[in-house]
Amino acid sequence: MAINPKIIVVGGGLAGLAAVIKVAEMGGQVDLFSIVPVKRSHSVCAQGGINAAKNLKGEGDSTWQHFDDTVYGGDFLANQPPVKGMCDAAPGIIDLLDRMGVPFNRTAEGLLDFRRFGGTLFNRTAFAGATTGQQLLYALDEQVRRYESEGKVKKYEHWEFLSAVVDGNQVCRGICAMDLRTMEVRTFPADAVIIATGGIGMIFGKSTNSVVCTGSAQSALYQQGAYYANGEFIQVHPTAIPGEDKLRLMSESARGEGGRIWVPKQAGDKRDPRSIPANERWYFLEEWYPKYGNLVPRDVATRAIFKVVYEYNLGVDGQPMVYLDLTHIDRKVLDRKLEGILEIYEKFVGDDPRDVPMKIFPGMHYTMGGLWVDFNQQTNIKGLFAAGECEYQYHGANRLGANSLVSCIYGGFQAGPNAVKYARSQQTSTDGVSSTVFDAERKRQEEANDMLISNQGNENPFQLWRELGAVMTKNCTVIRYNKGLEEADAKLVELLQRFRSVNLSDKSMWANTSFVFTRQLYNMLQLSRVVAQGAALRNESRGAHYKPDFPERDDQNFLKTTKAYFAPDADEPRFEFEPVDVSLIPPRPRRYDVAK
Amino acid sequence: MANNNTVLIKVKRQKDPKSAPYWEEFDIPYRSGMNVISALMDVALNPVTRTGQPTTAIAYDSNCLEEVCGSCAMLINGRTRMACSALVDDLEKPISIEPFTKFPVIRDLQVDRSVLFENLKRVKAWVPVDGTYDLGSGPRLSPVEQEQAYPLSRCISCCCCMEACPQFNEQTGFVGAATISQVRLFNTHPTGKALKTERLRALMGDGGIHECGYAQNCVEVCPKEIPLTQSIAEVGGQVMLQAFRDLLRK
Amino acid sequence: MASAAKVEPASSTHAGVPPLRAGQGIHFWLRKLQSLTGIVPIGAFLLEHFISNAYATNGPHAYNEQVRFLTSLPFVPWLETIGIFLPILFHSLYGFYVWWRGDSNVGPSYPWLGNWMYTAQRWTGIVAFLYMGYHVYTMRFSGVHLMTNSAAAFTKVYEHFQNPLVVAFYFVGIIAASWHFSYGVWLFAAKWGIITGSNGQRKFGYVCAALGVVLVAIGVVTMVAFLTTPAAQVPAVTESLLMH
Repeated sequence: MAINPKIIVVGGGLAGLAAVIKVAEMGGQVDLFSIVPVKRSHSVCAQGGINAAKNLKGEGDSTWQHFDDTVYGGDFLANQPPVKGMCDAAPGIIDLLDRMGVPFNRTAEGLLDFRRFGGTLFNRTAFAGATTGQQLLYALDEQVRRYESEGKVKKYEHWEFLSAVVDGNQVCRGICAMDLRTMEVRTFPADAVIIATGGIGMIFGKSTNSVVCTGSAQSALYQQGAYYANGEFIQVHPTAIPGEDKLRLMSESARGEGGRIWVPKQAGDKRDPRSIPANERWYFLEEWYPKYGNLVPRDVATRAIFKVVYEYNLGVDGQPMVYLDLTHIDRKVLDRKLEGILEIYEKFVGDDPRDVPMKIFPGMHYTMGGLWVDFNQQTNIKGLFAAGECEYQYHGANRLGANSLVSCIYGGFQAGPNAVKYARSQQTSTDGVSSTVFDAERKRQEEANDMLISNQGNENPFQLWRELGAVMTKNCTVIRYNKGLEEADAKLVELLQRFRSVNLSDKSMWANTSFVFTRQLYNMLQLSRVVAQGAALRNESRGAHYKPDFPERDDQNFLKTTKAYFAPDADEPRFEFEPVDVSLIPPRPRRYDVAK
Repeated sequence: MANNNTVLIKVKRQKDPKSAPYWEEFDIPYRSGMNVISALMDVALNPVTRTGQPTTAIAYDSNCLEEVCGSCAMLINGRTRMACSALVDDLEKPISIEPFTKFPVIRDLQVDRSVLFENLKRVKAWVPVDGTYDLGSGPRLSPVEQEQAYPLSRCISCCCCMEACPQFNEQTGFVGAATISQVRLFNTHPTGKALKTERLRALMGDGGIHECGYAQNCVEVCPKEIPLTQSIAEVGGQVMLQAFRDLLRK
Repeated sequence: MASAAKVEPASSTHAGVPPLRAGQGIHFWLRKLQSLTGIVPIGAFLLEHFISNAYATNGPHAYNEQVRFLTSLPFVPWLETIGIFLPILFHSLYGFYVWWRGDSNVGPSYPWLGNWMYTAQRWTGIVAFLYMGYHVYTMRFSGVHLMTNSAAAFTKVYEHFQNPLVVAFYFVGIIAASWHFSYGVWLFAAKWGIITGSNGQRKFGYVCAALGVVLVAIGVVTMVAFLTTPAAQVPAVTESLLMH
C-alpha cells in the first residue's frame, strides 16, 4: 500500500490538470505526460463558457434543472447518477475557478455574469469573454505549475503515450511513452494511470479540434482491451468557419448573445446581406423552434442547417453556408463579451462580423463517446482511469454547449481522488511488479517503431489520412445511412491494408514528426471502425446520431450504451450493449419546438 | 517567382540542434484562403522540393490552428508570426519561413521555448488558493477590474515578444515582456496580491525587468495585442517602490 | 520500483537564453543607478551647462562672468569629481556594457519608432561620450586653465571654433547629447513607472521631443554667438591675464 502513490496522468488539458491538482493535493506524486506543453492543450479552444446552475439571474434555475437539461439534451443515453453528480458539483467548480483567478465576466455588482446557451431556457453559462476554455486551462495550468515548483508534479512535455503497461492480472501498472525529440521509448511505472487525452477530431480530417486530437491513446487502449463506449455519437457543431487546414469554431455564445441564423428566402440571392430586408430573410431556426429559437441543441441546429442547404437549396450563394448575424447587436457589447471569437473570424476570413453577417457551416466538433468508465471513472482495466472528452460518461447522445468544460473538470476531480484511493487500497504496489512486464511492453513498442521506420512501400501517410477524413466526414457525421456506413468500413479496411505499405519519407530518429503522425494514424484507422460500425448497428435516431431510414428514437432496442472491444485475432471491433441507468428521470420524447 | 497556381515558399531547415541550417524551396499549389500551416501540410503530403528532389516533411509545432494555443510561432518573411493566422494572400511572395532565432532549434521550425514556462515559475505566476475544497465564491471584482485583467490573461505564451526583443538574448538573460505582464496580472488579483512582494523581488534579479530597453517591439508583434509596454511600465513602478521599501525599511 | 525509469528526460540540447535569476545579482541596482545618474546629476548638469554657455549670447564679458561664478563655487574639485566626472564615467561605462549586450534589430522586420529610438539611444550615447571626452580634454585639461583663468573662457572657445571641423563636431555632439538626454527623460518616466499609459506616454513623448529641440536650439544659438562675435570684441588673452 502506498501512502504517497505515484499517479501518471496522460494529457494536460482541463481534465488532466484537474486530476493532477487533486492528486497532488492528496499527497500523491504525479508524472504528467503531454504531447504539447500543457498550456497549449486543446482545451484552450473552448470559447463560450461553462455551465453551472448558480441561479444568479433570479430565474429559479437549479442544479436539478441543469441535470434535466443535460439528460434531455443527451436524449437519455447518459447514465444519470454521474450526470447528476456533475450538475450538483458545477456551482462549486465555478467558485473554485473564480478563486483561482479566472477573469470571468462580471455584473455591475461584481458578481459572475451568466449567459444563455443552447438546449436550455436559463442563463446558466459563466464566461470569460469568448475564450473561456483558455482562461480555465490557464488557471489550472498555473496551479499545476505551483505544484511542479514544489516538486509534487513532474511534467513530461513533448512525450507521446504509446500504450499502458498491463500485467498478467489485467492490472495497469504504468505506461509506455515516447520522447518526441529523441524518439526514445520508455516505460514509466505507476500505482494508477489517468487518461485525459481529449477528442478524436483528426479522424475526420478537418474538424474544430486541434492537431493533437487524434484519439490515438484511446485507440491504443481499446486495442489493449479497454471498452470504447458510444463511439458512434459524434457532435457536429452547427457554426464553424470552413478553412483550408481546419474548421474553426464559431461559438454558440454568438447565438447566446443574440446572434441569429438566416438565409435569403430567394435561392441564389446575390445581394449584399445587409441590403436584404427582414421580410426576405428566413430565420428558419426561430420559425421551426419558436421556444428555443437559435438556441436549440447542436444536433438539432446542425440538421436544420443541412436541411435548408441541401433540401431547400438555400445556402448562401448556392454554397454550403448560412448567415450567423450579429450586426444588430451593439459593438461595445460584442467587444466585451465575444471579442475573442470575432477576432478569429476577422483574422481568418477578413470580414468584421460586427459589420457583416458571418458565413458559417456545421463542422465536426466533439465525441460524446469514449473510453468506457464506471461511476468512479475507472475503465475495465484495473488501475486505468479516464476523464474528459476521451471518456463517454456525461453527455449521452448529444452534448449541450458549455457542458464540456464542466464535465472535464468534474471528471478530473473524480478521477484524481479515485485513482489515489485505488492506489492506496492495493495489496501489492507497482514496486513489486516484475520488471519483465515493463520490458516486454517497451520491446513491443520498439519493434512497432522499427517495423514502421524500415517499412518499404509506396503509401504516403498524409494521403491515407486525407482519404480517412473524407470518408468519415461523408458517412459518419450528420446524416447516416447503413449503406454509407458499410462503405465507410470497407474503405477503412482498405486503408488499414494500404497502411502496411506505408513508406516514410523521413527515416531519421530525431524529432521525426511524420513518423509520430503515422503511428497515430494507425490508431485513428482502428478507432474509426468503432465509430462506423457502431453507427451501423444503431438503427434508430438519437441525439447526434441521425438515420433518415430510422428517424425515431427506439428506447425498446437502443436505450443502451454501445460498448466496443477489440478482437485481436479478427483485428476488428466487437460490440456489446449495456442498459442505461435511467433511475432518476424517466425517458420522455425530446423536442425543442415547445417548452419541455 | 510563383505563377498564378503555385506559391513559392522558402524554408530554413535544420536536421537537429547541432547541425547546420540550410534552405529548401517548395512550390505549393495555391488555394484562396490558405495559410502558412496549410502550405506546410502540403509539403508533408508531397515532400519534394522545387527542383524535384525528394525530401522530408517539415517539422514544426502546431496545435489549435486558431491562434490561441501559441504553438506555431515562427519567423515569416523575417517577422515573428503565428503560422496559422499568416494568410498566404496577405504575404509578400516568395514567403520565407524560419525558426525563431533566440531559442534553441530542435528541428526545422521547432524550437525550445520552455524558458518562458520556467520564468513563470520563478515569478510565482499563480493565485495561491488554499485548496480545491469548497470555500465559497471568489472575491468580488468590478467589471472594470475584469476588463483590465482579461486582456493580460489572454497571453498565449507564443514568445513572439521575446523573439522580437533586442534585449532578450543569451548575454542579458532577460525575462521578457510576457512574464512581466503576467506579474502585473497576478499582482492585480485580490488574492494573487499575496505574492506581490516575492514577484517584484524576483524581477529585481539578474535578467529582470531592468534589462528592458523599451524598444517596444513586444507590443507591436504581440498577436493578442496585449498592452505589454504598459505592463512593463506598471510593474517597473511597482518594482521601484518595492526596491526603495527594501532599501529603507528592511 | 520496477526498473523502467532509468534516465532523466532529455533536456534542451543547448542553452538558449537562461531563465530569470530571481533574487540574484546586483545588475538591477547598477542599471537603476545608471538610469538615475542620467537624470541627476548628469542631466541636471547638462541643463546647467547649456544655460551657462548660453551666456555667450550676452557677449564675452557675461560669459566670462558666468564662468567666474561657477569656478568660484566652494568645493569645486569635489563637486566636479563626485557630481560630474564619476557619474558620467559610471553612466557611460555601464552604458557601454548595456550596448554591448543588446542585439539591436531595427530594420524591415521590426521598423517601428520605439525600436529606432532604442538603437538611436545607444548611438547617441556613444557619440556623446566621444564628444565629451574631446570636449573635457580640450576645455578642462589642456590649454589655458579656465578654473583659475575664467576671464580667458570666451576666448578659448572662440579660438577653438576657428576650425570648422571642431564646429561640426560640437554641432553633432550637442545633438547627440540633447537627443540622448531628452529620450532618456522619457525612458526614465516609462521604466520607473511614472508614466505608464500609452496615451500618457505618447503625450510625454511630445514634451520630451520639444525638450530635445529646445536644447539643440540653445546649443546652436550659443555656437552662433561664438561664431558671429567680431574678432575685435574677443578679449585678447595676455600673459598678465593668466595666473599660473
